[in-house]
Amino acid sequence: MVTETTSASRLDRISGALHRHPRLRLALLLGLPLLWLVGVYGGSLIALLSQSFFSLDDFSGTIDRSLTLETWGDLFTDSNISIAIRTASMAVAVTIGSAIIAFPIAYYAVRYAGPRLRAVFFVLILIPLWSSYLVRVYSWKLILAREGILFWFVDKLNLNFLLEAALSAPGIGGPSLSASALGQFIVFTYIWLPYMILPVHAALERVPKSYLEASADLGAKPLQTFRTVIWPLAIPGIAAGSIFTFSLTLGDYIIPTIIGDSSPFVGLAIYSYQGVAGNLPLAAAFTFFPIVIMGIYLYVARRAGAFEAL
Amino acid sequence: MRLRAKHLGLRLSTWAVLLFLHFPIFIVALYAFTTESSAFTFPPPGLTLEWFEVAWNNGDVRDALSLSLRVAATATVIALILGTMAAAAVWRRKFFGREAVSLFIVLPIALPGIVTGIALRSAISIGGIPFSFWTIVIGHATFAVAIAYNNVAARMRRTSPSLLEASADLGANGWQTFRHVLLPQIRPALVAGGMLAFALSFDEIIVTTFTAGNQQTLPIWMFTSLVRPRQRPMTNVVALFVVALTFIPIVLATRLTRNTEGTTG
Amino acid sequence: MTKRRILALVMLVALVAAACGDDDATTGGPMTEIGDGEGAVSIIAWAGYIEDGSTDPAYDWVTGFEEATGCEVTVKTAATSDEMVALMQGSNEYDLVTASGDASLRLISGGTVQEVNTDLIPSWDQVDPRLQEAPWHFVDGKHYGVPYQWGSNVLMYRTDVFGDTPPTSWSVVWEEQTLPDGESNAGRIEAYDGPIYIADAALYLMAHQPELGITDPYALNRDQFNASLDLMRTQRDLVFRYWHDAFIQLDDFANEGVVASTSWPFQVNYGQFTGVPVASVLPEEGATGWADTTMMHADAQHPNCAYMWLDWSLNPKVQGDLAAWFGSVPANLAACTGNELLTDTGCATNGEGNFDQIHFWKTPQADCFGMGGECVPYHEWVTASVAVIGGR
Repeated sequence: MVTETTSASRLDRISGALHRHPRLRLALLLGLPLLWLVGVYGGSLIALLSQSFFSLDDFSGTIDRSLTLETWGDLFTDSNISIAIRTASMAVAVTIGSAIIAFPIAYYAVRYAGPRLRAVFFVLILIPLWSSYLVRVYSWKLILAREGILFWFVDKLNLNFLLEAALSAPGIGGPSLSASALGQFIVFTYIWLPYMILPVHAALERVPKSYLEASADLGAKPLQTFRTVIWPLAIPGIAAGSIFTFSLTLGDYIIPTIIGDSSPFVGLAIYSYQGVAGNLPLAAAFTFFPIVIMGIYLYVARRAGAFEAL
Repeated sequence: MRLRAKHLGLRLSTWAVLLFLHFPIFIVALYAFTTESSAFTFPPPGLTLEWFEVAWNNGDVRDALSLSLRVAATATVIALILGTMAAAAVWRRKFFGREAVSLFIVLPIALPGIVTGIALRSAISIGGIPFSFWTIVIGHATFAVAIAYNNVAARMRRTSPSLLEASADLGANGWQTFRHVLLPQIRPALVAGGMLAFALSFDEIIVTTFTAGNQQTLPIWMFTSLVRPRQRPMTNVVALFVVALTFIPIVLATRLTRNTEGTTG
Repeated sequence: MTKRRILALVMLVALVAAACGDDDATTGGPMTEIGDGEGAVSIIAWAGYIEDGSTDPAYDWVTGFEEATGCEVTVKTAATSDEMVALMQGSNEYDLVTASGDASLRLISGGTVQEVNTDLIPSWDQVDPRLQEAPWHFVDGKHYGVPYQWGSNVLMYRTDVFGDTPPTSWSVVWEEQTLPDGESNAGRIEAYDGPIYIADAALYLMAHQPELGITDPYALNRDQFNASLDLMRTQRDLVFRYWHDAFIQLDDFANEGVVASTSWPFQVNYGQFTGVPVASVLPEEGATGWADTTMMHADAQHPNCAYMWLDWSLNPKVQGDLAAWFGSVPANLAACTGNELLTDTGCATNGEGNFDQIHFWKTPQADCFGMGGECVPYHEWVTASVAVIGGR
């Protein structure tokens, strides 16, 4: 009993002190998370960048720890820049694709589905997040293979001409869906789609019903309501989701090894410079591309209100 | 009439998207029963329960599963604590650097995982730190904090500050206010954020590759097993098992978050 | 202002790291005696190189070792030599590596692996004399490992496409042509995903463009190197995918309509075992190949168990079973007779007599291995191959 009262009064005193000193309270609250993020994460980023000022000994493959800008000189070659462009284009395509696919389902769930159906949707959207990403990617490999599931159905339905047309399209086609950019696009979109649906769903959920009623009362047509009320309120959600889809596509190194024609992506290039070639300095310098691309992207997304809707 | 038709289109596209999301999982389930041991073909030549037995008796799977569960649980707890603290700090206050703080917290999920992974790897190698359970946890907690923060901060933004003032007026101290007023308010966000953080950590491979050394989390086990004959069908069994295992918590959590949403909304 | 401060901080960390990184490798020669086992040993190996019976119960040379020594074996599979080098250099969590010639010298000159005392390996005398002092592990009179197996890369093809006319030349993977089934080979062949594959292009040019004067596919001057890259670029349009993993390649042969590719005997054996209609030939141009050495990390955590494995790995039963499984040739020729899985003709089938015709993988060096002249060094092979695969 005694200890309880003293500890309670001590708690009182502490909380009173904290109340009187908001700065102290702020420091206490923020101290630990910031220590973690700045210390661990920021420190690691700096450690990473520092590696890029080392170089690799050509023959033995060991890292020469004397400071040099040599590695940065190796970074801006045609082939590396084309890797960055290829990856960024894929990330943009995947982001747009996911947004287009995510919107109807989120909209339907929020506007028309009853609470029970909405819960079912929610569970159905969450389940893929829990079933191993790797196993699902490999199952896509089988779905998209030349003698795989999709071709099997297409063949049964006599739709081969459609598929052949898609595969012969320059730039996105290839000998098989699983070895084409089109196939990569499908798999990327599939894998990251839930990360788009969830924030869009959350953003639409926050659109008060009264807005829509007011809009209708004022004589707006459904399309008009959509354009002037729903869409602007959904944008932060889409922007938030797009940070996930864009960043996840940008850094993934597993999908491009399994699906596609072996053309390197940024993640794959970094991974292979580090893990395969043992060239940590060049891998570190290469992270410059995703960091800059993401920096630009975050700047744009922030203006669209993404951080408020994450 | 027109409205109906549009409605129909919307409903159809919704179910089409759900089919798109679940068809590959169905394929995973199907090939958990295939008789093939390495190269899969469609349709499967035969069905068997053999792989369930093989997976059940495989010690590596159990170790990997247990490691992944422990890592995800630890990382989620750390993330919830740090994320809630950060969200509380940023909430309702304008201070110098507030924008920078919120940007910095989001950074680990905004920057691609490979950057996070390789950055941690450099720190580990420069610091001469041996790989351990904690190096994996640190990697996971770093991005999980962002998830927890986002969920809690979003919830707090919708919580009326007057509630706290009322609590203080009634003589509650800071801890009591947190315990009895704020916590019930943010509980759905903690559940949702915790679930998402747990799921992300549980299935993470990009960062883990760089921080695990030769420890095997479940995704790393999967990655090596997917290209090994006789183990490949096992990965489907394990994936299926994980889905079955997580189905009930997902449903319960959805219930929980929905219900409170209903009463407060 | 802040930008400059960050830069200064970065440079400071780099300096500190540079100072810390000066770990001088003053090792006092190899071990002189083997103590008690540490209970574990971890090995980086090629896929299929170390089998514990989980793929096929008949092929198991791990369980017996674990029972005999109490050292539990963990295996990390690597797909390329570069990956092996990177893993070994990354840390000392791996004790042993089955390094090919394009990795072994790099590991030795980087100080990543330690000298091996052959007196501690009772089976050493049984090693094929052609391998005992092979230049890819015997440097300055010191042994840096124990030969494991060797073999040649082969041309794997689908028997249902080639039928009675199996390919005789590597040209099916280098030049566009109509295959026996009446269709082009474009999009139906694969190539190896590693810089060392440039040597395969050079080998093909050695036979088909003698005017280039290539004598060693790993010692290429600038013109020879560029000609090889040109060949790689024309091949790029034919390639379905660059294979990286043995089993994914087999998948592609089974499901994706891939019909010909450079490969290892291992995929051919395993493909036939699982019913994929494949076979292989050693084409008329000859082939590149590998001779692998088990090497020990300079700071191995389990040196005693590692030595025990080195000796175990030479055991005729292990060598023969592995040769049968992988399609390679044993380093211990005693394995060639009396092994059930390999059979007495196995060594000949796997190419034991081809030793002199195989161009074994080795790391290209700027000094052309001391043969005079100037050669393109390995790091250019790496960047060039990334560029070619990226379509540049």
